[in-house]
Amino acid sequence: MSAYFKDLSEGIVTTLKGMSVTLKHLFSKPVTVQYPDEKIPISDAYRGIHELKQEGCRACNLCAKACPVECIDIDSDRHMKRVVELKVFSVDYNKCIFCGLCTEACPTDVLLMTKEYDLATEDRSTLVRNILEWVGLRDEDRETIKKLEEQARKKAEEEVRKQTLEAEEKAEKAEEEPAGKAGDKADPPPAEGKASKKKAPKKKEAGGDPPEEKKKPDQEEK
Amino acid sequence: MKDLIEFFGGLEFLSENEFLTYLLAYAVVLGAVFAIYGLFAMFAIWMERKVSAHMQSRLGPMRTGAWHGWAQPIADAIKLFVKEDIWPAKADRILWLLAPGVVFAAALACFVALPISEGWVVNDLNLGVFFVIAIASIEVVGVIMAGWGSNNKWSLFGAIRQGAQVVSYEIPAALALMVPILMAGSFSLTEIVDAQKGGSWYIWYSPWLLIAGIVYFLASIAGCKRAPFDIPEAESELVAGFHTEYSGLRFAIFFMEEYAAVLVVSAIFATAFLGGWHLPFVELEFDSFWMILLGAMICMAKIVFMVFLQMWLRWTLPRLRVDQVMALGYKYLTPFAFLAVVGAAIYEFAAWRWIPFVF
Repeated sequence: MSAYFKDLSEGIVTTLKGMSVTLKHLFSKPVTVQYPDEKIPISDAYRGIHELKQEGCRACNLCAKACPVECIDIDSDRHMKRVVELKVFSVDYNKCIFCGLCTEACPTDVLLMTKEYDLATEDRSTLVRNILEWVGLRDEDRETIKKLEEQARKKAEEEVRKQTLEAEEKAEKAEEEPAGKAGDKADPPPAEGKASKKKAPKKKEAGGDPPEEKKKPDQEEK
Repeated sequence: MKDLIEFFGGLEFLSENEFLTYLLAYAVVLGAVFAIYGLFAMFAIWMERKVSAHMQSRLGPMRTGAWHGWAQPIADAIKLFVKEDIWPAKADRILWLLAPGVVFAAALACFVALPISEGWVVNDLNLGVFFVIAIASIEVVGVIMAGWGSNNKWSLFGAIRQGAQVVSYEIPAALALMVPILMAGSFSLTEIVDAQKGGSWYIWYSPWLLIAGIVYFLASIAGCKRAPFDIPEAESELVAGFHTEYSGLRFAIFFMEEYAAVLVVSAIFATAFLGGWHLPFVELEFDSFWMILLGAMICMAKIVFMVFLQMWLRWTLPRLRVDQVMALGYKYLTPFAFLAVVGAAIYEFAAWRWIPFVF
């Protein structure tokens, strides 16, 4: 009989205790985070999707080579050796394992990983993402290219002038040495040199072609 | 109800036709009951989800509808309506089809005798409590029909458990309800409420009534097969119990019925123990429509509080074993229900005469 009442009182006490716990929880703040509206703060070391600070990218392809799943695809072009024109810099997030090796491989530290992780989509083809800030050349790039071209042209002109001067000097020396022996043949070489000197700038003004090609005839003359 | 019949009888185009008068009055009452029923079921489902969520430090539905997921039950209902209606191949078709109807009708019929406010009762039966207990038992028949008709062993087990449990717990429930009847001297729920005027709510009127109230509360939870007494649909043992084979709309009816049963037992508790539409220290005069409406609101508040208590217990305790359920019913609740009846009888009709001589 005493066991009966002991069970009864124990049952009542434990039930009330349990109910007090649930009541406490009823009025405590829920731990749920309403995801798209509010997000849990993420560690700075989190590796999310990539970000490219395109200004410093040299299109060296080291990131693509470091990638263990080969998800980075780069297509680029170079102007005047220094200006890099990036056409494609895409990361295939179907493959990417977010290991961060590409960011470590980057020599200029311009390929970074952001805290952005929300990649849910209805179409897998949208997961191949071009992370370029801009495609092709900007106005600044065009200007730098122009400047570089101008510098190169000036350099080329100067070289051409030097060469012609040297050539003239040589020709003069050549004239002085065999003086009297062959008077008829002495005149033409300087005339040819003058002609080439006049021709070269004319062509540059008209076409604006890379001066490397222009150098070749000069060197041939040499 | 009588007022409605008189009102419709007074209309000219109905004055000759008694049958049509009654039909119209019944239709109006049925519509009103259905509306209350549906609204309450939806509110209770939403409340259940929110209460259970917050008790587990969650938020529950937050997006359906603009404010705290209020439209979640509507979305649930639409989902259930458009679901495929699957028939078990070897089911007993007639029993299987009729079962949800029987269960639903039993729960709906209980509303006939339940008063919400002064004069707001479909029919003030002078055997109201008896009627409600009797009609609520028909639900078991529907459940056993569902369990047998499904031709599924889990359904049958669930139905048998339900039968055993509900029949067992009707003894303490009915005995506990005997105590307020004894006090009020009437079986009519309206008269029981009127006897509690002026703050003498039966739950704190005497210790015997408190025992009776607790016994009735526990027995009523078991009676409407809610956790921790939900062994008829114990999902870890019986898949889903008697409604395993039901889907879509038919399942929705069983689901609604559960909440209707919750409403019925809570309403009985609110009227028999918590003074219905009376407040403890203020005596309200129910003479105008607005006062009666206020009374209905007070009564509904009490009902919702009782529903909350049931949910609180449900989300606190784990499910009992079958033998534990039976032990609680027969070894603890039934003796205490008897004790309450006998004690209340002696206390009310003898003790207060003896006490002056003792002291």
